[in-house]
Amino acid sequence: MKIISRNLLLFALLLFAYTLLFRYGLGQLLTAEKWGWVAIISVLYGGIIFITAWMTGRRDGRENFLFDAGFRWNMTTFVVWGIASEAWFLLGLHSAYESIRVVHITLLIWSGFLLLHFILFLILRRRTIRGVHKTDIFE
Amino acid sequence: MKERDEMREELLNAWEETYKKGQLTLWIFLALKEGPKYVNELQETIERFSNGTIRAEEQSLYRTLRKFYHLKMVDYSSGKGHKGPDRKYYHLTSLGQSLLESFIERNILLFFEEPLKELLLN
Repeated sequence: MKIISRNLLLFALLLFAYTLLFRYGLGQLLTAEKWGWVAIISVLYGGIIFITAWMTGRRDGRENFLFDAGFRWNMTTFVVWGIASEAWFLLGLHSAYESIRVVHITLLIWSGFLLLHFILFLILRRRTIRGVHKTDIFE
Repeated sequence: MKERDEMREELLNAWEETYKKGQLTLWIFLALKEGPKYVNELQETIERFSNGTIRAEEQSLYRTLRKFYHLKMVDYSSGKGHKGPDRKYYHLTSLGQSLLESFIERNILLFFEEPLKELLLN
């Protein structure tokens, strides 16, 4: 039973790659002022993250019986997205239309939801024994 | 009559399917109470004990044993494998033994007492 499992690491790695690709595409499309495409790649980016998280999370549930109410995936998305986005701006790879303030505001709002998710996890953790959900022990 | 028999068989299968869910723990514990076993041996014992009515998938057993090990209900020691790598011989810990005893006392032994015994045998 691992907190940082193989599936979580795979998800983090893929998310990092998606975020860099998305940031690159976003910068190019904003510079070219193709607003419709900006919306399309944003939806695609969100969709592919959701699908990857769902697939790796599902596989992790089968291999690793640690109950976390999805918090590890949310936390990983927050950290990886934050690092990739911050690095993108620090390296000066952003377009003239982008502002680091948007990243900071997003992280601030997200941290509030992350905290709520953590509280929910702590509440649900009462239904576990040594990190395994009681209904999963004798399934 | 044929229709009734077919329905009875269908209902019996549905009942057994539901009944068998959650039974794996009891069979694993009983097999390990007999003595330490590696996974394939455990699989064979469960099949033998249950007259072939319970068939546990190897992967399912590995997963369950890993979970029980984490919860300190079973432990293992390494032993020589047959022409291969060392095997993990699983056994019940004192927690596992005590848990099995309590479970049997609360849920199984009542079937051996009147009036249930009488109802089951007649």
